[in-house]
Amino acid sequence: MATVTVRDVVKKYGELKVIHGINLSIAEGSFVVLLGPSGCGKSTLLRMIAGLEPISEGDVLIGDRVVNDVHPKDRNIAMVFQNYALYAHMTVRENMSFALDLRKAPKDEIERKIAWAASILNLEPYLDRYPKQLSGGQRQRVAMGRAIVRNPEVFLFDEPLSNLDAKLRVQMRTEIKELHQRLKTTTIYVTHDQIEAMTMADKIVIMRNGYIEQAGSPLEVYDNPDNLFVAEFIGSPSMNLIEGRVEGGRFVSKGGTAIALPAGCKAGEGQAVVLGIRPEHTHPDPAGALEARVGVVEPTGPETHIYFELDGRDICAVTRERTGVKPGDPIRLRLDADRIHLFDQASGKAIR
Amino acid sequence: MQTSRPVQILKDILATLIVIVFMFPIFWWSLSSIKPYTAIFNKDGPVYFDFQPTLQNYEVTLLGKSRIESNLESGGTSGAGGGSSYDSRETILQSIIVAVGSTILTIVLSTLASYALSRLPMRGKQHFLFWILSQRFMPPIAAVIPIMFMFRDMALLDTLTGLIIAHTLINIPIAVLLLKSFLDDVPKEIDEAAMIDGATRLQTFRRIILPMIKGGVAATAVLCFIVSWTEFLLSLYLTTSIRTLPVKISTFVTSTGTEWGFITALGTSAIVPSFIFILLVQRHLVRGLTLGSLKD
Ligand SMILES: Nc1ncnc2c1ncn2[C@@H]1O[C@H](COP(=O)(O)OP(=O)(O)OP(=O)(O)O)[C@@H](O)[C@H]1O
Ligand SMILES: [Mg+2]
Repeated sequence: MATVTVRDVVKKYGELKVIHGINLSIAEGSFVVLLGPSGCGKSTLLRMIAGLEPISEGDVLIGDRVVNDVHPKDRNIAMVFQNYALYAHMTVRENMSFALDLRKAPKDEIERKIAWAASILNLEPYLDRYPKQLSGGQRQRVAMGRAIVRNPEVFLFDEPLSNLDAKLRVQMRTEIKELHQRLKTTTIYVTHDQIEAMTMADKIVIMRNGYIEQAGSPLEVYDNPDNLFVAEFIGSPSMNLIEGRVEGGRFVSKGGTAIALPAGCKAGEGQAVVLGIRPEHTHPDPAGALEARVGVVEPTGPETHIYFELDGRDICAVTRERTGVKPGDPIRLRLDADRIHLFDQASGKAIR
Repeated sequence: MQTSRPVQILKDILATLIVIVFMFPIFWWSLSSIKPYTAIFNKDGPVYFDFQPTLQNYEVTLLGKSRIESNLESGGTSGAGGGSSYDSRETILQSIIVAVGSTILTIVLSTLASYALSRLPMRGKQHFLFWILSQRFMPPIAAVIPIMFMFRDMALLDTLTGLIIAHTLINIPIAVLLLKSFLDDVPKEIDEAAMIDGATRLQTFRRIILPMIKGGVAATAVLCFIVSWTEFLLSLYLTTSIRTLPVKISTFVTSTGTEWGFITALGTSAIVPSFIFILLVQRHLVRGLTLGSLKD
């Protein structure tokens, strides 16, 4: 186990700068998820930590040691790749023992480690099979087995579940989390699936275009997004956003709808802002202050998503009630005033 | 895919016809090799099966008997010529040494070169690859005289080593390009996984990558073997006392006549070693060797 520190790290491919001076510190034993849209530089950052990609500027530290020029094999890390990268010509057992063989570990120790990993990952029946004789989920577990037998200081995962079907993904998600709770190894996990991020992480690092937009615990970033990007990116269905300005202590949308702002709001008079409110804080309520017309109704079972139009924008409300509303119905809405987020329209930054 | 019965039958017939067209020369060649002199040169038309089969041609070329000896034993009539210059035992041995030697040398050099070309960063790699390929543009006849002079200066003329080097030079470009295409199909994450597991470049290459492309290596080896086994021009110019099979066979066309019997016998025998070689490697010639290393 070790801490990982990323200090002012820059990555350039020739003239092209894809990581713009990132700072990140990862506590010992924590589970950190790098989250962001495709192409934001998650894999690049992870690969720099692994030593697979040279670092253009800045430092990466594992523990107290600067590892910029340390070969991947000497960083005491293990990595699970998106495509698993199993050794096709080796059995599951050989795949897992390869690293230990290279280290010239004693035979009985290798045996013991493999038995241990296989029992944790339920791979015992498959030890003598070849990767091509395994299902996707089993291959995924072999890739994890190969990582854990080495007892590394840091685990790196690059979208390990993105090739599995939805059900298996949920199951493996739980397994990885259990594994982490059992081993307590510092873990850095890359994904673009926010549900994975929310459910697994101790700390979520949200990235965009080579910058960190926000880092914090799942509920911190969910409840207090620092900016519009994070607000929109986290949460499904995503946060409702309405553009407008502040007038007389109230928010007035472009279409003229007025919404009362919570007391102590720091927005200046006349400031162009974006109001954000999560669907679960938007309630159909006959006594509500807003009036709208129902567009689409999506029942998911436990809850119903009601989309309606407000000032030409689709707004979503989530309710657990059986409201029975139908498309075209007029509806009144109430917003939880203390759950309203305001963002500066120009910078996108949260106004708090 | 489902095909209807008539279509399937038609396909089978077509396939059989194609096989017959390609097999016929080999059949005719080996048939001629067991014909007596009179059946080969029957002026009334081709002789198929109404002849007395004889192993005389094989006895002369493969056992080193003179034609007289061979004729006396089988009680046949004496043909023209005769003598031990048709004994090809040494030729076969030399051909095997050259083909196997150059194949091994080519594979060793090309796997290493193609791995480097596939994995390591290199300035102007595309140009280098094109240059490798361009080595095949030139007809060998254009280069054979200069090569001969170079070989003479290096004392490689008329040596097995020289011929092995020459055939290796012919084979390397195509082998490197072929192997590189197999290597490019192995995702680089495999190398990276091995590297993180603690393997050096060379260990990664030998223990992980090479076994994964062994099908490609086998295919390339077959190709190199066949090229060397059948190569004529360089062997002709670079050797005098050493004779590889194609050169030896060409000497059976003499000023006093063409020894079709010996040519067909040796030609038929020449199929055997390459056939054995292909049998040895063919179990590796399966497709989809990286199957299972990836998600799907
Ligand atoms: N070898 C390279 N040369 C040039 N640009 C590259 C190279 N590798 C990656 N990039 C660029 O770096 C950026 C970040 O890539 P990266 O693979 O880290 O994205 P990612 O966040 O992992 O995306 P995804 O979710 O699609 O995997 C991308 O814009 C990509 O185009
Ligand atoms: Mg990626």
